[in-house]
Amino acid sequence: MFNAYKRFFAFAGKQKKTWYKGMGYELLRSIFEAIQFIALLVVLRALVEQNVTGETALAALGVMLVSVTGAAVFWYLAHNSEGQANYHMCEEKRIRIGERMKYMPMGYFNSQSLGSLTAAATSTMEDLESMSFAVIARTMVGIIRTVVFSIAILFFDWRIGLIFLLGVLLFLFVNSQLLKKSRQLSPGRLQAQTKLVDSVLEYIQGMSVVRAFHGDKAANQTLNKTIEETEYQNFKLERKRIPYNVLEQIVLRIAAVAAVLLSIWLYLSGAMTLFTCLMMAISAFLVYSELESAGEMFFMLPMIDASIDRVEQIDHAPRMDEQGTKQETKNRDITFEHVSFSYGEREIIHDVSFSIPEGTTTAIVGPSGSGKTTLTSLMARFWDVDSGTVKLGGTDIREYQLDSLMANFSMVFQTVYLFNDTIENNIKFGKPGATHEEVVAVAKAARCHDFISALPDGYDTVIGEGGATISGGERQRLSIARAMLKDSPIIILDEATANVDPENEAELQEAIEALTHNKTIIMIAHRLKTVQHADQILVLEAGRIIQRGRHEDLIKQDGIYADFVQSRKKAESWSIAGEGALGVGV
Amino acid sequence: MKQTSSIGIMDFIRPHKGGFLCSVVLSVLGVASGIVPYFAVAKMINLLIVGEQDFSIYLLWCSVALVAFIMKSVFHGFSTKASHEATFAVLSEIRRRIASKLTKVSMGYLTDTPSGKLKSSMVERVEQMEVPLAHIIPEMTSNLLVPVAVIIYLFVLDWRMALVSLITIPIGILCYMAQMKEYPKKYGAVVQAGKHMSATTVEYINGIEVIKAFNQSAVSYGKFTQAVHKNAELILDWMKSTQGYSALMMTIWPAVLIGVLPIGCIFYMNGSLTTAAFITIMILSLGIVGPLVFAIFLTDDFSKISTIVGEISSILSEPDLDRPLQHKNLNGLDITLTDVKFAYKDTQVLKGINLKIKQGTTTALVGPSGSGKSTIAKLIASYWDIDEGTITIGGVDIKKIPADQVMDLIGYVSQDNFLFNVSVRENIRMGNPNASDQEVEEIAKAAGCHEFIMGLEHGYETLVGGAGSHLSGGERQRIAIARAMMKNAPVVILDEATSYTDPENEAVIQDAVNRLTKGKTLIVIAHRLSTIIQSEQIAVVENGKIAATGTHEELLKNCPLYTDMWKAHIQAKDSAGMKGGAENV
Repeated sequence: MFNAYKRFFAFAGKQKKTWYKGMGYELLRSIFEAIQFIALLVVLRALVEQNVTGETALAALGVMLVSVTGAAVFWYLAHNSEGQANYHMCEEKRIRIGERMKYMPMGYFNSQSLGSLTAAATSTMEDLESMSFAVIARTMVGIIRTVVFSIAILFFDWRIGLIFLLGVLLFLFVNSQLLKKSRQLSPGRLQAQTKLVDSVLEYIQGMSVVRAFHGDKAANQTLNKTIEETEYQNFKLERKRIPYNVLEQIVLRIAAVAAVLLSIWLYLSGAMTLFTCLMMAISAFLVYSELESAGEMFFMLPMIDASIDRVEQIDHAPRMDEQGTKQETKNRDITFEHVSFSYGEREIIHDVSFSIPEGTTTAIVGPSGSGKTTLTSLMARFWDVDSGTVKLGGTDIREYQLDSLMANFSMVFQTVYLFNDTIENNIKFGKPGATHEEVVAVAKAARCHDFISALPDGYDTVIGEGGATISGGERQRLSIARAMLKDSPIIILDEATANVDPENEAELQEAIEALTHNKTIIMIAHRLKTVQHADQILVLEAGRIIQRGRHEDLIKQDGIYADFVQSRKKAESWSIAGEGALGVGV
Repeated sequence: MKQTSSIGIMDFIRPHKGGFLCSVVLSVLGVASGIVPYFAVAKMINLLIVGEQDFSIYLLWCSVALVAFIMKSVFHGFSTKASHEATFAVLSEIRRRIASKLTKVSMGYLTDTPSGKLKSSMVERVEQMEVPLAHIIPEMTSNLLVPVAVIIYLFVLDWRMALVSLITIPIGILCYMAQMKEYPKKYGAVVQAGKHMSATTVEYINGIEVIKAFNQSAVSYGKFTQAVHKNAELILDWMKSTQGYSALMMTIWPAVLIGVLPIGCIFYMNGSLTTAAFITIMILSLGIVGPLVFAIFLTDDFSKISTIVGEISSILSEPDLDRPLQHKNLNGLDITLTDVKFAYKDTQVLKGINLKIKQGTTTALVGPSGSGKSTIAKLIASYWDIDEGTITIGGVDIKKIPADQVMDLIGYVSQDNFLFNVSVRENIRMGNPNASDQEVEEIAKAAGCHEFIMGLEHGYETLVGGAGSHLSGGERQRIAIARAMMKNAPVVILDEATSYTDPENEAVIQDAVNRLTKGKTLIVIAHRLSTIIQSEQIAVVENGKIAATGTHEELLKNCPLYTDMWKAHIQAKDSAGMKGGAENV
């Protein structure tokens, strides 16, 4: 349990001091609250001595006023500090996640990693924000107050004080057993939980397929089994936890009753005054109240621990070293020298060398999985190579400042991400200082202007969630307009991207032509025409360049390229109702 | 159809009310035991004051107190256990109901609702009900009943002192009201800032690739940090405005001695309060307010539960697709659409569609994006119910044909090729659960899958992995086509199914499609016009209406829109891509 606190305060970082301050105020608040005990004593003594006067009443009132006032003031201060500490801590952590992401290699981002980053930055942080305030404060305060109270009792009678402290120790011991047990069991629960999430997602996403094939009843049964397993695991954890909770309470009660009994025995044997004896009986009622009411909260400590784990995991993501300082490039020639690269254990690119002179067009072809996308990712330093070098203008790309390097490249992504903002701002993302006229000019060039003008608010139309919806092809052209405004000298393009919205194929082609005019072009090519016109074709298979050259030369060789051309010819002339695949090609 | 307008938490609790009832009874027993120690201590104090010297009497009372305490804790434990058991059963019940609901709603609802949203309702939101639901009964019972019992006892002892011991409650309530007055003022802004931060965070993270590629990390990061700062700032500001009252409330409420001690002294001095009664009242009054306050805060849980139940009931009240169960005899499989109108959300997508599709022919739906061609195909497949007009298959209105029967008739292949996390073989077999292993492999060969499947680590037994992640897009597509071939439905709908998901394998996919559709009624949403020019019927869809139908040649003569589309298509094929770098420079 103390480890959990230690970990938490370490996690709190800069806010650690404020948390401590809050705990300090909590201690003072406890002391002031304990002062009401003095009022009780004053009256009790007077009662025992049969000497109750108006002064007794006034004294009790006065002490109580001091106690309430002090407690209120320190309650305020304590909550203030804890609030500051908590919300600033979460603020700093969120920003740290955002900051850390800037240094992750581009290649690290995929739907899975982005999903878990989003989960950590939103729901996990929200959990922490709402939980830690209550849990850390209440449990620690519970312990602090009980210990303070017990120590105060020590001054009246050390034996009773010791019994009270013993009660606390026993409570903490049972509690630590409980935490141990729950740590043992929570993986099973977490597993059931994860499985539930997976099955539910598969069930929902696959429902249309399942229904088309009458599988809904079977799928429903499978899911129901998972639901029951989750119920079983949850209940199992709860069932194991309850005896400990009961034991926790009982341990405290035993100590309290023992203290009462001992006080009475001491009084009867003349070793304690009636006054002290009564006082001890009363204090036995009060001493553990805070611990008991915080009892449930102790169980949430492991949850905080788990949340901290999830947030700290982000630090384990790969980190780009950014020592480069170079800003200017001599020219924009790209050179790969004996480059090898692997994802984890699996080597994807094996000893690849080639060069792309500035202003030329390079087509990369090859079967899926041959490493085409990876090769383009290495050029823009989405990943660092394992061995060999990638050079831009004769200089290792690692020597450039990352921003300056990036300024040379524009990429048309496979999936188009648009921000939940106006169309104008989405295009302007390529160049924040652009004027409206510039935006319209690239929109026209990228064949976006017409559909934008048809939208209710034109360029001010908000797109994305809750905003206007635009088609896939329109999104793609917007992304091309955005890239055009960036106007970088090297364009990396996956041609498959350009074919998702076939009705507007011609418009897309025009947009791409406008984008790539006068640039160095590297494209993962699928169209025969593109490949035929390229200055250089790199044919990739299993991470190696196995053929290279111009179309006229390669077509004469047997091999992957000739096969590629054959299959493209066939595909491009396909007709759906035609019996023979090589029907009416146009 | 039964009208289930609103579903409350009681609908879920009712089947498990035994457990909750048991929890309440145990909790009450626990409370009853919990009161005993108060009397025991009061009794002992009395004995001490009157000078009782026999230790064994005290020992007896202490034992009584201890046993009662233990009983209290044990009853409370069992009560918690019972309520948890019932709660988990309720949670499962809710999940099962949503799951079974999803088999009945329209397919349109499923494709429309983001799967993440349904998942979060079904998993996380339901999970969030656990703590409030499981704890509210035992905690509420004990935290309300104990103080009430103690107060009653106080009234029995001395009604004046009982009233005095309650004096801090109204004062605290005044503070509470003052706090509540401040509460909503700034709270709205806090909620807004929280939502904004969450949205900005999601956008920053999901847009990070674009942000970095466009060198905009500073700007976007600024927007993100601002939202985060704003969130913290507003929460703290809001806390500050209410905290003063909270501090007073939280300290005044439990400070019952402030009235009990001085006023008790006065009553004692005028002889109307005995020493023993006074001391007993002192002790008992300390135990009243804490639990009562706790009970007040528990009411928060009620609102939490009802919010979640509201969310769940909105899913459960989604109308079922209304279809009979009795198998219908169809007169052939001609499909006819008559004056079909359909609005999607608030947009009128189809504005009166008339179309005849003869059995065994190929019909292509072409038209600009957003014209409604995909919607027509989905309506034929019963994704949604139409608003007006009729769709008939074999002369029977599809609303009168059981959903299962329509599903049997139609094989729907789209770009979304969802595969299950089972073996490749089972994924294909899903098209026909009775198929033998050999049949599965034959179909796989016909669909051009066999070769790559054999190349997988465990061949046909290879697990497809979460949503088929180990397979390329084209491979998944071919498995999906094999699955559809396995089903062998007489009507096949290809909804942009042959788009370039995997250009390297496009020719293989095209061959597979040709085999799948042979001799079937085929409805195809064409992306490249050249692929459909041989169709018996081409329907040009424009702005929710059929602009023209006919063969390729007829349309070229009669339909200007088709002619334009055709020209654009040919132009794209010709211009194709880049000019050589040498020409540029």
